[in-house]
Amino acid sequence: MSQFRKEKNRFIFLMLMPATILLVGLTLFPFIVSFILSFTDYSLLRPGQTKFIFLNNYIELMTTDEFWIALRVTLVFTILAVFIQVVLGVTFATLLHNENTNVSLLRTLYLLPLAITPIAATFTFRLMFNPSLGVLNYFMKLLGLEPQAWLASPNTALFSLILVDTWQWTPFILLICLGGLASLPNEPFEAAKVDGASSWQIFTKITVPMLYPFIGLALLFRSIDAFKTFDIIYVLTSGGPGILTRTLNLYAFKHGIEYLSMGYAGSIAIVMLIITIVVAQIFLRKNKLLQPKDTLK
Amino acid sequence: MKVFFRRLALYAFALWSFFPLYWLLNTSFKTSKDALARPPTFIFKPIMKNYTEVIKNNEVWGYFVDSLIVAFGTTLFGLLIGVPAAYVLARFKFRGSADFGFWILSTRMTPPIAMLIPFFIMYLKLGILDTHIGIIIAHVGLNLSIIVWLMRGFYEEIPMEIEEASYVDGSSFFQTFYKIAVPLSMPGISAVGIITFLFSWNEFLFALVLGDSVVRTSPVGLYGFVGYQKIYWGQLSASASLLLIPVLFFVFLFQKPLIKGLTLGSFK
Amino acid sequence: MKKRTLNHLPPIKQLNLTRRHFVKATSALAGAGLLSSYGLPLYAASNVDEMMKMYQSANIDWQSQKGSSIVLSGLEHPWMSSIEPLLPHFNKLTGINVQVQKQSESEYVAEVPVKLGAGNPTPDVYMVWSYGQAANAGWLESLDQHFDNPNLFDKNWYDLNDIFDSAKSFPIWNDGESYVMSITAEAQTMFANQNMLDAAGVGVPTTFDELLSSGKKLKSGDVSGVAMRSKADGTAGSWPGGGFVFSNGGVIIQDGKCMLDSPEAIEAIHYYGTILKEAGPLGVGNYHWYECLNDYMQEVCAIGMDSSNFATDIENPEKSNAAGHTTYGAMVSGPGKTAKPNMWHWMSGINSKSQNKAAAFLFLTWANSKPTCLMSSALGLATTRTSAWESEGFKSAFGAQAATAALTNLQNADGKIMKDCWFHPQSGEILTPFGIAINEVVTGTKSAEKAMTQATAKINKAIGA
Repeated sequence: MSQFRKEKNRFIFLMLMPATILLVGLTLFPFIVSFILSFTDYSLLRPGQTKFIFLNNYIELMTTDEFWIALRVTLVFTILAVFIQVVLGVTFATLLHNENTNVSLLRTLYLLPLAITPIAATFTFRLMFNPSLGVLNYFMKLLGLEPQAWLASPNTALFSLILVDTWQWTPFILLICLGGLASLPNEPFEAAKVDGASSWQIFTKITVPMLYPFIGLALLFRSIDAFKTFDIIYVLTSGGPGILTRTLNLYAFKHGIEYLSMGYAGSIAIVMLIITIVVAQIFLRKNKLLQPKDTLK
Repeated sequence: MKVFFRRLALYAFALWSFFPLYWLLNTSFKTSKDALARPPTFIFKPIMKNYTEVIKNNEVWGYFVDSLIVAFGTTLFGLLIGVPAAYVLARFKFRGSADFGFWILSTRMTPPIAMLIPFFIMYLKLGILDTHIGIIIAHVGLNLSIIVWLMRGFYEEIPMEIEEASYVDGSSFFQTFYKIAVPLSMPGISAVGIITFLFSWNEFLFALVLGDSVVRTSPVGLYGFVGYQKIYWGQLSASASLLLIPVLFFVFLFQKPLIKGLTLGSFK
Repeated sequence: MKKRTLNHLPPIKQLNLTRRHFVKATSALAGAGLLSSYGLPLYAASNVDEMMKMYQSANIDWQSQKGSSIVLSGLEHPWMSSIEPLLPHFNKLTGINVQVQKQSESEYVAEVPVKLGAGNPTPDVYMVWSYGQAANAGWLESLDQHFDNPNLFDKNWYDLNDIFDSAKSFPIWNDGESYVMSITAEAQTMFANQNMLDAAGVGVPTTFDELLSSGKKLKSGDVSGVAMRSKADGTAGSWPGGGFVFSNGGVIIQDGKCMLDSPEAIEAIHYYGTILKEAGPLGVGNYHWYECLNDYMQEVCAIGMDSSNFATDIENPEKSNAAGHTTYGAMVSGPGKTAKPNMWHWMSGINSKSQNKAAAFLFLTWANSKPTCLMSSALGLATTRTSAWESEGFKSAFGAQAATAALTNLQNADGKIMKDCWFHPQSGEILTPFGIAINEVVTGTKSAEKAMTQATAKINKAIGA
């Protein structure tokens, strides 16, 4: 091996080592524990009596209605929420990018949902959604609309949660897109204007395609996180009404922490992990984001 | 005309972003009866009691300091560990690099429930429960994926000519990295730094399970205002509002680089 | 290193007292001859000696664990709020240092299983939210041997007759041993806005049917007649709904089998759902105690049915518009049945892995002793002792009529049927489907019969019946 090769390999190794050590140390043990537990009937109620039950947890999972309902709820929530957030994030990032007055102020305001302590924000929403005392229904009545039950009604509960999640996380997408936009070269835009293209055409045929890798990253991370959403659902609806907003993560929490069946909860977690891995792999491969395009020689 | 509509949309979105915060601020100046009054009051007699109580409360100062230490530590170590890894993944193709990159991403995919008890046991055995460094380590682990992948994205935008020139001049890999690549990506680094800072500042679950009496960050501490059959709205809203000040201060400090930053070279 | 010490005692305001209560409490104790004649404030150092005498008359070696340190863990709760200010006295009496860890309920319930499940030696003493869970998982120390230890416990001085029967029977586990001590007492109580009742010309309801008809009459415009918990959760509708089941002659668990599909239970929940659908507020399906209490205190709801503990907030004019004109009533009964309200005793126990068990036991008995209960009840705490409930201090802190109503409900409650469900080791897997079923009935998604039958099937499968 040439000296160069050796040095290159050593460099790569050293640069990756701290991250590897940290992540292996932190995630390997929990993963192995959860993985093994998912094949047992481990319950904190009977700590000494754990038996291997192999695939029984998984079989039970696949054959209960509750799992499939939770899966459906999680998918609907994730897909709708992320879609709305990406559309809003990209749109407002573009609008802000083209704006020239009060940009700093607007940017700060847009970041607020990410800066505020989540528990305070969530309880504020709980208060605002309150059907009799909350400010949302107050505005509904002012506008002559029917006051809604929001979090209590089967029709509006999931939508209300998506609203809260959107409020909280659109800034994340917006931030990433804003940066991406600032990095785009000016020539294509100028050329298009000279050619007489409309704003809409510029947006759809130039902006979005060029911004694509950033949108892709934002979408990827937001999806991974949205799939695991817990806090807002727990505080606002506890998975209700009925089990209409009970996502897989809440389902796992109930069985793990409330019923203390950690083996069963572990199997739910592993299933969630598998789904995420598969979808992420498909997404990354399709968009060729797994490997860098050019490398150093 | 177009400008008008654009501005309308922008300010509408600003209103949307700000309104819940406005409501929180509003509540922090209200008595508990007013806070829940029907119809909701926009005009009322404001009281400073909530703020004075919170400012006098040493515990809340404690939450603030703990959050500050943890968030800063996380950002610092996260960047120190993540940026080099990102650089390598962006610049070199080697066997297993795609899988390695994906593995880093996958560390973010596990639902926390599967990690709580194992983490707790690990920390207990290692004796780092309820320590600042313990929580920093956990937060870095949780956020490393995003640091690495975002920075990798930024590095892919920086043209390689300058670095290649530096190699031709005989610099080693390390030298090129910290003399050229890092400064060029400073803006990207501050962007990722802010995201990491915000994530760590507001992280609840692990700070809860791995912290305790010595280390109590603000999300955990503020949850204490949600009592048994009682919610201390006044103090919750006042503390949350006050905590915004340092956060916005740091974000403001890094804004210019933030935007210039996510901005780099040209994009093919 | 910053540690949570007693220095962070909540200001008195946070204990939900006004100066008025405080002064009344001290005068009550002065009247009972428990304070020096100077009438100094309760916690003044100079009064400590007076109070010490009350404890030192016991045949207990209080100082036997001097120098040790225990961790007391609990949720934000009136018990914690009333005991904390008294801890300096405990420290002076015993030389034991108590470190307090307090969290919100959700935080507490999520975090403590993690700690105890990992075998942590602290907390030494903790509030037990699910006895079934904790006992089965082996997280509690058996107390009987300590009760029998003459150095640590003095039966006569402790006066077991003074403690409510249910409070004494609650801690007895199915192996005959006690692993916890009851520390508070609360019962399902009705609170009705007397002004609104008078305006609508209805009296205080005593049966399910009366509650329904009065509720409908009281509901008008934006104001609802009745609000009760219905969130789709094991902590929401299950407790008040359980009281409805009991008051209609039904039970939840019998001989280890779920009986929620019995005609009595179905009828009870059918009433629960109908009352809320026809007389309840918009969106009642997502109501937890928080929403119910707020609606009542803001006078946008006429009648509530929940824990007697709410009386302290309801009578607080700084928080509640309904203060001063609320009538507290007994639990309503099903047609032709006797009222059996639900009730609850919070409990505290000692960590089986604690390394300071004797000190922890001294703490528990001190906290539950007559003198301590007298002092804490003067702060409005609903203790487990008749003497405390009947004291002037408690009556003015809690409200005399509220106290009477709550006491009645406590005495009518049937501890056994409550324990059969709530102390089942898998209580979570019973209460959650039950709560979800109640929610489905209240939102009109399912009929009572369908919801309860399905829930029963699920519960029986989970508990292996």
